[in-house]
Amino acid sequence: MYGYAFALPSIALLFVLVIYPLFMTFLLSLYDVSLTSSRYLGWEAFNKLWNHKMLPLVFKNSIIWTLLVILFQFLLGLASALLLNQSFPGRTLLRGIVILPWVMPGVIAGMVWRLVYDPQLGLLNHYLRSLGIISQPLTWLSDPRWALYAVIFTAIWKGFPFSTLMYLAGLQTVPLDLLEASEIDGANPYQKFWYITLPVMRPIIVTTLLLTFIWTFNYFELIYVMTGGGPAERTHIFPTYVYDLAFKRFRFGDASRFAVLDFLFLLVFSLVYVKLSFRREESL
Amino acid sequence: MSKSQRTLYFVKIYFLAFVLATFVLFPIMVMVSMSLKAPDEQFTSPPYLVPKRPTLSNYLHVIGRGSMFLRYFLNSLLVAAASTVIVLAVALFSSYSYARLCFPGRDFFFILILLSQLFPLAAIIVSLYRIMSQLRMIDTYWSLIVAYLTFSVPVGVWLLRNFFLGIPKELEEAAMIDGCTRLMAFWKIVVPLMRPGLGATFAYLFFVTWQEFMFALTFITSEAKRTLPVGIFDYVGQYETNWGNLMAASSLICVPVFLLFLFVQQQLVGGLTRGAVKG
Repeated sequence: MYGYAFALPSIALLFVLVIYPLFMTFLLSLYDVSLTSSRYLGWEAFNKLWNHKMLPLVFKNSIIWTLLVILFQFLLGLASALLLNQSFPGRTLLRGIVILPWVMPGVIAGMVWRLVYDPQLGLLNHYLRSLGIISQPLTWLSDPRWALYAVIFTAIWKGFPFSTLMYLAGLQTVPLDLLEASEIDGANPYQKFWYITLPVMRPIIVTTLLLTFIWTFNYFELIYVMTGGGPAERTHIFPTYVYDLAFKRFRFGDASRFAVLDFLFLLVFSLVYVKLSFRREESL
Repeated sequence: MSKSQRTLYFVKIYFLAFVLATFVLFPIMVMVSMSLKAPDEQFTSPPYLVPKRPTLSNYLHVIGRGSMFLRYFLNSLLVAAASTVIVLAVALFSSYSYARLCFPGRDFFFILILLSQLFPLAAIIVSLYRIMSQLRMIDTYWSLIVAYLTFSVPVGVWLLRNFFLGIPKELEEAAMIDGCTRLMAFWKIVVPLMRPGLGATFAYLFFVTWQEFMFALTFITSEAKRTLPVGIFDYVGQYETNWGNLMAASSLICVPVFLLFLFVQQQLVGGLTRGAVKG
């Protein structure tokens, strides 16, 4: 009896605030809506989405952005967790320092990196020129070749400490006696890491990758603040383009279609991912 | 390890620690450095990191008279605190029922809550905006407080459930055998033990709502109700950005969340990872 009573507020809020608006978005995606008019499209709506000239680019950017960001957050997170798991004087201080980017509000991280990348004021160009790596200052964020990768680099910097925290916690769950026993049996550090540490940490790695994937795929403010989707709409990913369509161009129908596709993609991906990682768990 | 091996080990460790710290701190140093520079030092060519004549004038300007910063700060505080308190009140009971109680449909609703973390906020912002316009809630604090529930209720329920799972069931069972009702056992035995978990969850939700940008940008139209993440764009002009003031304001915004995290970091990671291990 308490079960329902206790759970009811969260379920009610979920329906009113999430499921109902989501349903409205689905409905809206079947219409052609502007500020002044609204026209029912039905199945034609799918053609409209499919033939939208920005769809291939937004999809490609979203994939490149997400894959590079979570790959490097994983590698950097694991490497820094292994380092911070060693005992050395100053470790506590370094642990405190490492989480700073993650704790910094996204809008501020975006503005700070705009300053770092700035062609005139930015120190990055200055240092790269001093080192002789580039001869002319690069306009990182307004150069179509570099802009997406510049934002990706910032996203890696901003988000990797979360992976560090998770993997550091995961490393503490590795049983010490197991490591000692393997050492007696003559395992080298590389083998210990590969055959003991990684398998024990697998559940945490699986969860962390899924969380960072979802967060990164839906990350709005960094790109919005740093490039606004530019130059020439080259750095839009799903959330920024949905926002752009809705609140800059007032094309609510198009915005809803992109939003629905974003949601369905994540849903299918996550279900497959969870299914695959559970199946492998059983066979272990 | 022999002495020379030990030395080599520490040289390697400190080299890597230095690389990591530089990577993490460089942009933060850029922020603090710019915030301490007077205008004549801000626009030098080439730029340099350490201010020659550090000054607090940017900070004084940001918090001084005629500045909206304090107003934005209070707005952010109000919105973040209000929505976090509401979420905790709702999630404390819900998460307990998902962790401990049995009722038909429990797993279904819990999975629904987890799934609701999947959708992009961009997917509901259009509908939410239309609903809020109809309810005449646009440009009120309530629009943000309510909008923030969309993403903080699921996270709150999930985190608190993980903390509940970390408390032994036997404690309540013993209390109930001694004559407590379920409600009393929950309130008198379990909730006090949850204090660290509640603290960590509060901190995390506060941290997420404190920096929320998209809803704040869309739902608030009047200057007096703006929150900090949108408010700092006052320093970004169409042609020129007041980098000194902007970076001073940014540094000030970072301080409360940095401090908050220092205190709850251990607890929070415990809550986040327990879900991964115990499912």
